[in-house]
Amino acid sequence: MSEPKLTPWAVLRDGSRLIGRFIKMHPLAFAIAVAGSSLYAGSIILASSVIGWVTENVLVPVLDEGEEPHLLLAAALVIVGVAIAKAFGIVVRRTGAAYLSGATRRDIRNRLLDHQLGLKMSWFNRQAIGDLLAVADADTDQGTGVLGPLPYATGVSLLLIGTVVLITAIDPWLGVGAVIGLAVAVAVDVHGSWLTFGMWEDVQAERGKVSSIAHETFDGALTVKALGREPYVTEKFGMASDVLRDRLIEVQSTWTKYQVIMRALPQVLIILLLIVGAARGVSAGDLVTVTYLLTLLAFPIQLIGFVLWDLAGSLAGWRRVQEVLDADDFVSWGDLPASPDSGAVPVMGQTVGFTYEAEPVLSDLDLDLKAGTTLAVVGPTASGKSTLGLLLARLWDPDSGSIRLAGRDLRQFARSELPKEVAYVSQTAFLFDATVRENVTLDANYSDEEVATALRLAHADQFVSELPDGFYTELGERGTTLSGGQRQRLALARALIRKPRLLILDDATSAVDPSVEAEILRSLKSAALPSTIVVVAYRPSSIRLADEVVYIDKKRILAHGIHDELIETEPGYARLVQAYEEEARRLQEAS
Amino acid sequence: MIENTNAAGLIRRALLEAPSLGEGLRVTLLLAMAGQAVTVVTPIVLQMILDGEILDPAGVDMNGVLRMSAVALAAVVVGVVVGRISLLRLVRTSSTGLSDLRIKTFDHIMRQTVLHVQSDRRGNLLSRVTSDITTLQEFMEWGGVGMIIASSQVLLATAVMMFYEWRLALIALVGVLIYLFMMRWFQTILARNYDAVREEVGASLGVLSESITAIPIVRAYGTEESTKAKVAEALEQRFQVEYKTARFGNILFSTAEIFAGVLTAVLVVAGVLIGARLGMSAGTLVAFLLLTNLLIEPLQILVETLEFAQSAASGLRRVVEVLDGEIEVRDPDDAEPLRPGGLSASFEHVSYSYTGGEAVLTDITVDIPVGSRVAVVGETGSGKTTFAKLLVRLMDPDSGTIRIGGVPARKIRLAELRERVAFVPQEGFLFDDTIANNVRYGAIDADDAEIWTAFHELGLGEWVQGLPDGLQTQAGERGGNLSAGERQLVALVRAWIGSPDLLVLDEATSAVDPALDVALRHAIDKLTEGRTSVTIAHRLSTAQSADEVLVFDQGHLVERGQHRDLVVCDGVYAALYADWAAGTKSV
Repeated sequence: MSEPKLTPWAVLRDGSRLIGRFIKMHPLAFAIAVAGSSLYAGSIILASSVIGWVTENVLVPVLDEGEEPHLLLAAALVIVGVAIAKAFGIVVRRTGAAYLSGATRRDIRNRLLDHQLGLKMSWFNRQAIGDLLAVADADTDQGTGVLGPLPYATGVSLLLIGTVVLITAIDPWLGVGAVIGLAVAVAVDVHGSWLTFGMWEDVQAERGKVSSIAHETFDGALTVKALGREPYVTEKFGMASDVLRDRLIEVQSTWTKYQVIMRALPQVLIILLLIVGAARGVSAGDLVTVTYLLTLLAFPIQLIGFVLWDLAGSLAGWRRVQEVLDADDFVSWGDLPASPDSGAVPVMGQTVGFTYEAEPVLSDLDLDLKAGTTLAVVGPTASGKSTLGLLLARLWDPDSGSIRLAGRDLRQFARSELPKEVAYVSQTAFLFDATVRENVTLDANYSDEEVATALRLAHADQFVSELPDGFYTELGERGTTLSGGQRQRLALARALIRKPRLLILDDATSAVDPSVEAEILRSLKSAALPSTIVVVAYRPSSIRLADEVVYIDKKRILAHGIHDELIETEPGYARLVQAYEEEARRLQEAS
Repeated sequence: MIENTNAAGLIRRALLEAPSLGEGLRVTLLLAMAGQAVTVVTPIVLQMILDGEILDPAGVDMNGVLRMSAVALAAVVVGVVVGRISLLRLVRTSSTGLSDLRIKTFDHIMRQTVLHVQSDRRGNLLSRVTSDITTLQEFMEWGGVGMIIASSQVLLATAVMMFYEWRLALIALVGVLIYLFMMRWFQTILARNYDAVREEVGASLGVLSESITAIPIVRAYGTEESTKAKVAEALEQRFQVEYKTARFGNILFSTAEIFAGVLTAVLVVAGVLIGARLGMSAGTLVAFLLLTNLLIEPLQILVETLEFAQSAASGLRRVVEVLDGEIEVRDPDDAEPLRPGGLSASFEHVSYSYTGGEAVLTDITVDIPVGSRVAVVGETGSGKTTFAKLLVRLMDPDSGTIRIGGVPARKIRLAELRERVAFVPQEGFLFDDTIANNVRYGAIDADDAEIWTAFHELGLGEWVQGLPDGLQTQAGERGGNLSAGERQLVALVRAWIGSPDLLVLDEATSAVDPALDVALRHAIDKLTEGRTSVTIAHRLSTAQSADEVLVFDQGHLVERGQHRDLVVCDGVYAALYADWAAGTKSV
């Protein structure tokens, strides 16, 4: 992805807009943080004046002029008092900043999920899941990264102004010197940050390359090793790592250059101001105030540059967050509630067409299913048969034509209503990091008995009862402890417990043994679950159990009828369904 | 686990693996120290100007001021140059050394079997060559630099204070030490809270990422509201814990700020009381106060970098642990060459168990003659795949001997073995590159014409022609642009193009449709005429045409023979075949 080249002004303009947006979300927290920061800045200026005052009124009279230390106690108390004020300022500032960034992140993450749940599946399919997760995690953190140092930076700006005011009050020429000196320091700092930021982006890009090579190679380790290509991938990785090394050296050299200069600049400024002060006959106390203040300023002043860094970083992160939030490919919902009736529904598809990324996947498809029919959808790999399942469940919408459930267009249903009548089970069974029971109910209200019945129907009751805690067993992340067939049967139970009026199984039992699969299908057709069933499959045994078959190839329905008929009339269908049988016969004859 | 816990040991080990990491380190440190002299210049020059000129009853002599300032400025300039040189050196060595360490670690992991034997550890191992090294890098370049600068500053400031007035310096030092301990103590108290925060962060991200991944399920089941509520709750809980910890930490650390104020006050009082008696000048005391500030700021940095150092050390420890891990499958010291031509294979009393101890294969003895076609069948978990991996020496058995072409597998050079023996795993893994380049993983020098030929030989020419860009079609991340079946086709060609003498297929066509599967089988059978092939099959049509079928059950080789003989026995194979036949029966 090519990103527009950032300019400092664009960063400032877009950055302040972004910051304004964040502040609007939690204005009070920001105000409190800034108030704390002002108190902090004020107490630093005060502390310097106090040290100057102590020098003038205590140190010099006592140590150089031999007077009695009258004001010593007062001096000590004032110093501690100012320190307490400073500490208080820090607490308020940092607490406000923590609230501001924490709450903003929480809100953005909630919004991201909310937004994505409203978008079409076609949008979701175009995204890499890894990217979406990164947006919700690292990118959100990075996008709001500027909020942490923002109140501090506001305080530092106040500190700079206060410093100039205080020094000018001591002596106008010192003031002029301070303005010039601080301006130079800030300019150098900002320039350095700007330069390193651009380079740092390159480093991150290289780091990403190194990590994706490692990721890919580790995932494909079996292939790499089986082919004996370890030296080749190590060389590839080494080259990427060395490019990263060179980029790092580059950015770090620039960064350290500015770092040493920034460390020296306040020192130089102090020395120059001492000369001016001495020439202008400034008092010892005032000179101490100036020196002390600039010493205390040496560290915070570098923060100005960091904020620019953070701001540019935030914009980069936020751009990716914004991209998701800007997606407006929303599903449009109607206002129809699910019917209170139960029992199978008739399904009707008229001139349905579907295009994916400019490639037609299905075209001009008509389908008329009576309530309670079991339909098998058969076709070679990539024939579009899975798409039909997705359209029937309205996970995707057709580009032309319509699909109706007992006369109602699927698009008329209100949000979350259609799933009360239609259940869809895909080949890849997604299991949540939760118990068996929660995976079946998905937090809806079902009795233990209903759960048990659903598990039995899906032929999952036996292995579930053998789990350590029955259906209260925690499955762990993505249910990795279960076999493919077991996972598929749990996913099936999840659909069955809802007693759907239309059930769509997209190769949903592919990892289950053929005999078990046949049994499952047989029991689904029984009266216990009166629904219309659409099965995408290619095991002949499953197909045989269907009442009707549609044969899909080349993006359209080539035939719709009864299995036995299609075998006779459709040579392509027969070839596909009877491939293994034919092979077995051929081999038998050969031997 | 290696008890290599002390930091010095770890560092020594890292230097052994990547010597470039330690080049010229001593000189670098000395230079860094010298460069830091910059910061103590100002207190000294202030003291000199105050005592020598401003507070001199004789009045201010500007020549004196300028002289002192000139020296001070010169010192600053020298400090900048030296400091810059030292940092540059540090940056070069650390980046070079860590890149070397990263490559070494990657190489080591690739040589081990862990990636395919314990695939659940891949994520962890990935962190070894990415985030762990990055932590080290960041530590060296930000934390490490900070640490060197900060400790130099502490040493220099202390030295100058001692020079001015050792009694007052002692007070300052004691105060600073107390301050340091306070900060350390706070850090340890907070560390526990940070653990809680980390846990909440992990939990909330878990819930959030699971919900995003499950968006299709959420849509299909209409559970939007409960999903949102679950995520909102996890995020709120995380925020509360984070916020509470931040508040607590802020209060703790602000007390350190108050302590610094108290220390300044104590120094003023003590300085005035002691100084009056010792004849200390006002300028000296002021310099002292400035120097105290110079002590406190680096201490804060030091305490922060200590945390940093700890996580860097544990990162390094994890890296070293990986490097200490044994490379199980090694090239032989005394290699024996394979004879040209077809290859036989044999297992003699071979057993294998995973590190957990569970036996996967027990006492397998079998001969696979040159040119035979063998099918291996059995239920999931019967040990079929392990058999294949041992056969191609992706792993070594615990006991027993495996021979390829009559030579013990452990005595064959790995490069030679990979060239002669091809293995196609079930997954059909493709790299994010063109189809042609993916095939080239099997034969680096193959040109496009040869790749075309290989596709045609397997009857897949038409399929490639149908792809948007033919051989130049991008496979996408993990081959995501192709279907699972299509990925397997490319993987098959990739193995085939190396024209192996022994071909081992592990359910390599499990995702292609039945008609194509049968066609591929015919093509492979024709092409491997005269060569040896071993096929792990879950579709029993393969077993039907094999010269011999090996039937595995719970890690044992329970039956062997030809299909027509096995199918009539009342055994494991007959049961498997009955189920298969029932599934494929169309009438």
